[in-house]
Amino acid sequence: MADKPRVKVAGQAHKGDIVQIKTLVSHVMETGLRKDENGQIIPRRIINRFTCEFNGRLVFSCDLGTGIAANPYLQFSARVEESGTFRFNWIDDDGVTITAEESISVS
Amino acid sequence: MIQRGPIVCALAAAMSLWLFARLPTTAAQPASTARVSVAPLETESEAAPRPWRRYPDWPKRDSTGFSTLAVLVSPAPPSAPRRITASILGDAATGQRLVADRTRGGSCLACHVMGSAGGTDLPGNVGPDLSEIGRLGRDDEWLFNYVYDARVYHPDTIMPPWGTHGIFTEGEINDIVAFLKTLKAPAIFKQSLDDPQRRPPPAERRDNLDPLVNPGMWVVDRAQELWKLVGPRGAACATCHSEPQKSFAAWAASMPKWEPRLAKVLGVEEFVTRHARMTTGHDWLMESAENTALAVYLRYLANGSPIQVDIESGDAKQAYERGANLNARKLGQLNFSCLDCHSPDRGALKWIRGQWLGEQKGQLDHYPTWRTSQQSIWDIRRRFQWCQVAVWADELPPDANEYGDLELYLTAKNAGLKLNVPGIRH
Repeated sequence: MADKPRVKVAGQAHKGDIVQIKTLVSHVMETGLRKDENGQIIPRRIINRFTCEFNGRLVFSCDLGTGIAANPYLQFSARVEESGTFRFNWIDDDGVTITAEESISVS
Repeated sequence: MIQRGPIVCALAAAMSLWLFARLPTTAAQPASTARVSVAPLETESEAAPRPWRRYPDWPKRDSTGFSTLAVLVSPAPPSAPRRITASILGDAATGQRLVADRTRGGSCLACHVMGSAGGTDLPGNVGPDLSEIGRLGRDDEWLFNYVYDARVYHPDTIMPPWGTHGIFTEGEINDIVAFLKTLKAPAIFKQSLDDPQRRPPPAERRDNLDPLVNPGMWVVDRAQELWKLVGPRGAACATCHSEPQKSFAAWAASMPKWEPRLAKVLGVEEFVTRHARMTTGHDWLMESAENTALAVYLRYLANGSPIQVDIESGDAKQAYERGANLNARKLGQLNFSCLDCHSPDRGALKWIRGQWLGEQKGQLDHYPTWRTSQQSIWDIRRRFQWCQVAVWADELPPDANEYGDLELYLTAKNAGLKLNVPGIRH
């Protein structure tokens, strides 16, 4: 079973507030530089891109490299003008996308 | 459930009778256990693979010929110091290289400051500062013997017997002696962090139960899925333990305990293996991901409960005493006992290289713990295994009786501390 990503967003905010968003995802972030016990290179498998959309609109994205540790933790902020849902996407080298959603009520 | 001791046994007995009544009829139950008044345990086979094979990413090293927690085979110390009359003519430059050689038991600098010439990149302070050893008037015989096997002068020393245990040759020790004789001035450190006397002890301030902080918290989630997973016998943990938050609110804080049916001390991990085999039919060997997850979860449920283990009843008392002896046993090619590194009157609360050696009290409350340096969660048995590999000894299988005795002894030393699992540590 896949580990559910951890996401923390304030449940409520006022219109125009800048809210802090914390995310933690379970991923090996295999660099492609290590060898296994038989001397064979362990293929690279990292999350190479992260995006965050709010009500379908991109609010934050970043590219990740091989220097990022396993289980990457990302923290950023976004201004909210309306109630809605953040959608988080972690995309890895195998094309697997891990997703999570978190709603916020804006008054 | 805050009671412990005999009351817990009585409660466990009552619970297990009750849960037998509720086991589905499809679950195969050996007839002999139907009237047993304690939790059913499989007692016929091992709880970990045999022969035990070291984890693939751990150091491969041949440590046969040196003592483990199971066998005493290390070479005996010399009966008297070697007589050396002629002056030792070693090569100080080679000695300077050897004292910093980290393939030889971590280098002399792991424990000693050795002047600016020895190197000032994070030396340790488990042993005395040797920066001025060259002007203390020690003769060559004393210096040679102290490196070769310091036990000839101090039987209780924690210094490894470099010569007797074959880590350095006599020629190399001559070179080290030649280097030691050149050390005549205090080390000059570039910054205070390099000086082990001024380096601040590390403090763990992370909130280990915050899922955004501790990846080990995913294991708690996984365990709750496993709790509901029906095994080959048609039952899941949840079949009998439907409200684990209530029924296990203190149980793990009373573990490990002496188990008369196996005549050994059982920790939570081995209990999970043996109990699951008899009830759900899952074969969750120790050190499997499933076993570790459940061991984390069962302790997580008891978080906040003070550790209190039985070391009073006859067999438990004997196990505790065996554990105390194992705690003091010299192990491996480097010849360290648990106490050598983790007792404050020896190596504890000091630096070995850049690593702080902790006391034994304060260790058992947060295991299994997420290890950021390993990116994985380790239970206490794996931690024991690692300590042995680190002192160049062969580890035992995780279900070894010796580990049970040691875990009981160490847990008793942590009595009163409240469980706080999963921990997070370097």
